[in-house]
Formats: sequence, C-alpha cells, structure tokens
Amino acid sequence: MSRGCDLPLDSYRLAHYSVQVPCYVCDGGNTYDAEICRHCHAPMALAHQSAAQKTHPAMVAVLGTTGAGKTVYLGMLMDMVSRRPEPLQVLARGAFSISLQQLTTSALARGYFPEKTPNEPDRWNWVHCQIRSKRHRRPVDLIVPDMAGEAVLQEIEHPRTYPVIRSFLRKCAGVIVLIDAIRLQRGEHDQDHFSLKILMFLDELFDQPKKKKQPQRPVALVLTKADQCERCFDDPVAFAKTHAAGMWQHCRERVTKYRVFAAGVAGACAYRRELGGGRRRIPLRVEPRGIVEPFEWLIENLAISTKT
Amino acid sequence: MHDKVLRNTTRRVLDWLATRLAAPWRYTTTPSAPLATAPTPIPAARTARSVGNDDDNLVASMLAQGRYTLLLRPQVIDNLNELHLSQTVLELQERMALVPGGQVVVGQLDPESDDDHSDDAPCVQGRIVQVDPVFLDRYPVTNFQYQQFVDRSGYEEMAIWEEHILPALLDFVDRSGHPGPRFWTDGHFPPGQQNHPVVGISWYEASAYARWVGKRLPSDAEWCKAASWPVSVSPGNWLQRKFPWGNTFEGHRANLWGSGQHATEPVDRYAEGVSVGGVHQLIGNVWEWTSGAYGRAEDTALALPVPMKSIRGGAFDTYFESQATCQFQSGENPLSRKHNIGFRLALGACDLAPQATALLLHGTAAPKELELAEEVRV
Repeated sequence: MSRGCDLPLDSYRLAHYSVQVPCYVCDGGNTYDAEICRHCHAPMALAHQSAAQKTHPAMVAVLGTTGAGKTVYLGMLMDMVSRRPEPLQVLARGAFSISLQQLTTSALARGYFPEKTPNEPDRWNWVHCQIRSKRHRRPVDLIVPDMAGEAVLQEIEHPRTYPVIRSFLRKCAGVIVLIDAIRLQRGEHDQDHFSLKILMFLDELFDQPKKKKQPQRPVALVLTKADQCERCFDDPVAFAKTHAAGMWQHCRERVTKYRVFAAGVAGACAYRRELGGGRRRIPLRVEPRGIVEPFEWLIENLAISTKT
Repeated sequence: MHDKVLRNTTRRVLDWLATRLAAPWRYTTTPSAPLATAPTPIPAARTARSVGNDDDNLVASMLAQGRYTLLLRPQVIDNLNELHLSQTVLELQERMALVPGGQVVVGQLDPESDDDHSDDAPCVQGRIVQVDPVFLDRYPVTNFQYQQFVDRSGYEEMAIWEEHILPALLDFVDRSGHPGPRFWTDGHFPPGQQNHPVVGISWYEASAYARWVGKRLPSDAEWCKAASWPVSVSPGNWLQRKFPWGNTFEGHRANLWGSGQHATEPVDRYAEGVSVGGVHQLIGNVWEWTSGAYGRAEDTALALPVPMKSIRGGAFDTYFESQATCQFQSGENPLSRKHNIGFRLALGACDLAPQATALLLHGTAAPKELELAEEVRV
C-alpha cells in the first residue's frame, strides 16, 4: 500500500542544484548535497569546509606499500599531536577527521593493528586539521588522506584507475613516503622499488605545470617498524643507504628537499594464529617513537608559502 | 645453572671474607703468615672501628657496591660482627621492601569487568600463584649502581654469566665498544644520569648483575604481588589494585607518555606512585625485566618470533595507560638492549640467614607485614 503526501516545493533547493560545487581534490563539479565527489570519490565535506571557513587547505600525502604502516603512522600521528601542544598544535576540523585516530588507537589499545585500508577511495579516512607551528605565523590547514597502498600502486601502473590519487598528488604540498624497515633489512627489494616508483611518479606529476615556478615539495622518507631493527634508529641515513640504495640514489639526484627518518609504534610484535589458519601480526605494547619528527619537518618545509 | 653460579659466587665471597674477617685479631700485614693459634670469638663489645679499618672498608665497600645481601647469606653472616650486621641489615631495609607471602592473580583479574572486547583481545587470563615472602628493590637499579658492576669487571667475570650466552658477551658493549650498557660511552653512563635507571641492558646482563650483587630478578608473580598488593576478601574473590596507588590512573604518579617527559627520570621521582609496600616506580619510567617467560604455554594461538622474557610496568614512552597496569605483561627478546627497559632485583626471604631475618622482623624495625597490612586500601 502506498501513501500519498504533499511535499512543499523547496525552490531554494533547485537554486542550489543549479550551482556546481567543485571538488576540493579534483575540481570536478558536484551537486551541493553530494557526499562524495562523483568524479574522484573524495569527500565533499572538504570542499564545503574550505568554502565555509574561507581557508585553502594544503595537502600532504602519506604513501607506502600495503602493510608499510600508513594507517598506524597517520592515526598515531594525529592522536599524538592532538594530545599535546608542542611542537605542533593540531585541531581537527570536522568530526570525520577524528575517525582515523579513533580507529587506530582503539585497535592498538586492544592489542591489534588496524585492518587493511580498503582500495575504494570512498572508504578511506580523511583528516582535515588546522596546525599551528612556530614557522607559520598563520595557522595552516591541512588535508591528509589515508590512501590504500595497493590503490596507489594500481594508479601508478594503470593510470586513471583511481583519479583521486593522481589529482591529490598533483596538488599536494608535501609527501611522506613510508618504507618498511623490517622488509628492507630482510633484503627484500620491493620496498626500494616501490619507493622509487612513487618518487618517479611524483616527479612526473610535479613536472607537468612548467609554466610557473613551483615551490619545492619536501619528501620525508620514513623507515617504519624501526623498533624491530634498532640500527635503523641509530642511523636512519646509513640504513637507507645500505638497504634502499636505489631510492637513496634517486633522492640525491632528483629530490631537492628530502630527509630520512626512522619511526616505530610497537615496542615488540608477535603473531596470533587465526581460526582460518592464517596468522596476524600483533603489537605487544605501544610506544611510539619518531612519529612526530617527520611531520614536523614536513610542516616546516611545506610548499605553501603563497597559500597560507 | 643459576644455583651453581650463585654457589660459586657465594663461595668466592666467602673465601674472600674468610681471609679477612674470620680471625681479625690474627690479621697481619703479611697475609701468608701461618696461623699460630686457634680462633677465638670476637668480643661482643668490639666495634668495627676497633677491629681495624681494612675490615670496615671491606664491609663498607660491599655496602657501597650494593652487594649487602651477600653478607647476609647463611654462609657469611657468622663472620660479621654486630655493627657490621646491623649496618648490613639497615642497608637492606633501606634499599629493599618486604613483600609478604600469599597468593596473587597474575594476568587479567576479571576479563569482563573492564574490557568489552576481552573475548578477542590477546590478554592473558589470570591465574592464581602462591608467592613466598620476598624482598624487592625499592627503586630500579640505577646507572650509578650498575657502574660499580662495570668498573669491577663484571663483564669479565665469567662465573656470573650463563654459559650459553658467553658468545653474545662480546656484543654487550656501549657506544664506544667498551663493555657496558648500550647507551653509555667509554664505560660510563651519560653525564647527569647517575640516578636514572640503567637502560640498554639485555635480560642476561640484568641477570649477571643480579648474581654479582647476590640477588635475582623477580618472578612475574612476585612483581605483580608487590605492585597490586592483593587482598583476598573471601575464598576465591580477590581485590587487586590496577595501579600501585589504586584503580585509577593519575598522570602525576608515573612517568608515561602522557606525562610529557619523553625520557627516563631519576628513580626517586614520582614518589606519589609508591606501592603499599614502599616500592617506587613500579609503573612507568622503564619497563622491568622479570625472570619469567612471556606468554603462556596454554596460549597456543600466540606465536613468538623468538622466545621472549616478560617485562612489566610500562615506560616513559608507553602510550596507553592500560598497558602500564600491574596486570599488563609485555615481552621482549632477552638479547634486546632497549632504551626503555631496566630492572630491579629481588631476594627471597628464605635466602637470608635466620639471624638476619630475625633482626629484620623483630629488631629495631617494626614487624613489616603487620605494619603494611594495616595500610591496605582497596
């Protein structure tokens, strides 16, 4: 049985629909009530907040292979900097910006690492926050998505698979590349190759607009899980030179602003066998180390001099 | 192995003391001189000063090195005069707290009470363990204390090291390649950190130091009992503290990440975090090695990359307060020399000579167990 009802004609809605709202990431037009961009699947909340607050947020990308620790790094970073005023003061903009740190810290507190980030961009967690630092007199607005490593790799290998990645990276003012130090130490070269791919992909994207001189984008190379190989903490540069020679060479030749860092979140890890027969890596305790330093350096060197 | 080494160490100390303390009235400047007369007891009124400076120095040196418990071993104690004995007992009372014997729940006390996700969380379910009375260091071992061990060639005294670990001994060096904790330089601790807990030492180094001073690492149950101070309210029902001071975390009582220090602090800070029994910094500042292994044999789902030793208490960089409770256990490779793992030592009350125990319980000090039991607030 269907019921009939009278609906008032909201003419203002029609007016809203007639104006396209550009996505903050890809600039594609969307209706005013779109939740995610129909072109790239980035959340439209970013565009609405930017317009409402009359800010122009900078973008920072956190990239790395699947399992390199992007979600844990980013979630812990946001939780750490939001809990203390020094050296950076960070305030989240919008409730959705809290989701990532909530997801990460609740998993870690229970003795697990968070689940793998899905490849679909509409299921990624995005962080939009305001940062106050000593260098920037005015607060800096920042957008950082937790992108799936596999999706990034697919976009590199098969362009236009995930348009949001290309659009985002083209606009981003700084990049944090995470490299799994344990796998490097084991002698697995895929980490070296992947970081090289990312750096070259960024070169291609950054080189495109040659008309105007673009500020140099800083690249922070972070060796993650360094708590499992202490030598990495002792001398991250020496570690990178030894175990990721390709990436190191590329940075020396092609990247103007870069620095190598070591970071770790779990003091020790073990494995828990699961019912299905697989096993899952679990943290035995959480003691973040070297998490804030790369971000702090990046903010100090962010390529946003004209935008703030 | 441990008993054998302890016996060897004790015998060496015994031999050493015997030559110098057993018959002080026959002590000459020529130690090799033959003994002419049978020994006679030391007069009770004879003080250490009248015995001679060498003997005083010997005991003082043992006390200064933190090796006072060796003097209180049954094999040695008879050779001490009254003053030395009272000095040594006093030293033990000042440095160590008595943890009364009894039962303690090790692991999670009530899995459903404070964690809705306990079913799938990798927590250790509690088990009841009987603990004998034990003395536990009031403070973690400091850089200054460990310096005594390094300076007196503790790393070269093979008898106190486990045989199977001897090949790794060459790796136990500081930044400059000298034997010692990982973050020291030229065999010395960093300036200004003499009262900080020693860190950068493996489980084996902690164990060797323990043998050198005549103590041992505490077991998990002993550590838990000292920290959580359990009270059995009725058969099968236990009240144990989550933190040594109560059940609620308070940032000013322990050095965790949230305290904002982000480095080790002197061991006498955070006095408000003291346990009921008078043990400081059980929570925070540095994780503490215990003698136990991490994980339980019954927990077949847990797979460790290497056999791990248990560490407890959390450190200055422990992010979650829930991971720095009396019940929480973490694990670490026993060869790891981390920046945030230290240790404190224990001594079973039964390992002391009866004279020392009697003096401790009925001497000038008030009976410890009764005094402490009255302070229990759960």
